[in-house]
Amino acid sequence: MSGPILEVRDVRKRFGGLEALAGPSFDVPEGAIVGLIGPNGSGKSTLFDCITGTQRLDGGEVRFAGRRISGLAPYQIARRGVGRTFQLGRLFGRLSVLENLLAVRGPLEGRRAEARAHELIELVGLTRVTHELAANLSYGQSKLLEFIRALMLDPILVLLDEPAAGVNPTLLERIVGYVRGLRDRGVTVLVVEHNMGFIMGLCDQVVVLDHGEKIAEGPPQEIREDERVIEAYFGR
Amino acid sequence: MTGRAAVATVVVLAALVAFGATTENTYYLSVGYSIFLYVALASSWNVMSGFTGYTSFGHVAFYGVGAYTAAILMFDHFWSWPPAFLAGGLAAALLAAAIGWPCLRLKGPYFAISMLGIAEVLRIVGLTWESVTYGGTGIPLLSALSLRGFYFLMGGIALAAVGVALAVARTRFGLRLLALREDEIGAETMGINTTAHKLAAFVLSAVIPGIAGGIDASRVGFIEPISTFNVFITIQMIIMTMFGGRATVLGPVIGAVVLSVVREALWARYPYDYQALFGVLIIVLVLFMPEGVMGVVQARRRAAKVAAP
Repeated sequence: MSGPILEVRDVRKRFGGLEALAGPSFDVPEGAIVGLIGPNGSGKSTLFDCITGTQRLDGGEVRFAGRRISGLAPYQIARRGVGRTFQLGRLFGRLSVLENLLAVRGPLEGRRAEARAHELIELVGLTRVTHELAANLSYGQSKLLEFIRALMLDPILVLLDEPAAGVNPTLLERIVGYVRGLRDRGVTVLVVEHNMGFIMGLCDQVVVLDHGEKIAEGPPQEIREDERVIEAYFGR
Repeated sequence: MTGRAAVATVVVLAALVAFGATTENTYYLSVGYSIFLYVALASSWNVMSGFTGYTSFGHVAFYGVGAYTAAILMFDHFWSWPPAFLAGGLAAALLAAAIGWPCLRLKGPYFAISMLGIAEVLRIVGLTWESVTYGGTGIPLLSALSLRGFYFLMGGIALAAVGVALAVARTRFGLRLLALREDEIGAETMGINTTAHKLAAFVLSAVIPGIAGGIDASRVGFIEPISTFNVFITIQMIIMTMFGGRATVLGPVIGAVVLSVVREALWARYPYDYQALFGVLIIVLVLFMPEGVMGVVQARRRAAKVAAP
């Protein structure tokens, strides 16, 4: 691990009267797996939207690899090496599994993109459904497809929005393995998850949001015992 | 392209050329011309609306602007037909770029409606800007070519339109248009500059209708705003594409051929009611075959591919 690959600085976002993000700041060190947790509505997905450019910031900034990325278009941020999956999935339903991967505008083009796509399909065991429409996949299969689609960008940083939500324990195990595999290749991961076992077992560092504010940050063991975190989750 | 498809293409093209070169039947030549016109229009509409899902209800705007550009250049400025027709295509492309910049930020039905509005505005501009368009009086034109000449010229334009659609369908560009149709935010997050893709598709889908508009003006020999910016022309592009299958290369061709023939048959027998009959036919087809002829074919192909990987 070296310096921060992602710097979130005083990020603010309002939706009408609701302050979705009230200026959290934190760093994501290069090569780490960082968990982002918090109760529903605490601003986790909005923060992902702000990092990837899907939402414009009202204040603060996001820096990636030392350069400001807030204000750039989502596709520009993606091409700099920020991959993302979505909580509810944003697959290209009427395209096949393979086409979902080939549509990605990453650093690879043509035959090399095709080779990489087949490699990823094989990695997560989707070979049998290579030509199936994404809309026809099972829930677990679509989670896997979302995951490998983000990898087509050959990302430096991957944001995973609830990769373990609703998946069975066997698949969960596999996803944990894939995420570790990413880190072993030097990819940095920022992951939103409600499954505490997943977060505690996988993350080097955890950031906790509540009502759009950062209420805690630290290694998983510390977070587990933090008074404010327990309060935010379970009430007093 | 598979060997069989290539052979079939060559055979069909050869038959069309042989027919056009030898027949003395002017009715068949003019029906052939009209089919080519609609192959060109529907294929072009498909490049934008079929692939991106941004339904244009005003594509006649490009046909009309092409027609007026070519007509004014030939009538007032004595241009010869080749540069005049090409200028029509250029004018349509420029219009698409100018409209696309603001309107492609609108999603779904808002884009469709804005295009409908633009075509209507152009019709009214055509009627009122008399110093340039001659208003409702219209512009008379000398026929630039013989009927046979028009048959071959429009055939070439139709071929070019299908070629453009084929190039789009076979490349990552087309795949990315489909991706943004499926999920625009997803596409953008996957590195696709969706605005640039939509704009490129839109301009691409305007050029050929622009050229075809100029040719058609010269073929008809007279243009005026109401028949030139006629919403029925847009509706035909939409219906033919939907009938044959959106976002496929062959779909608009099949739709244009079949429905042009149906239109000719109905028009001859029921000169006053044919539009209504046409409409009923469409409702039936859309209800029972929403993805069109090619949709059925593709579903079968995919099933075979999934079953035997």
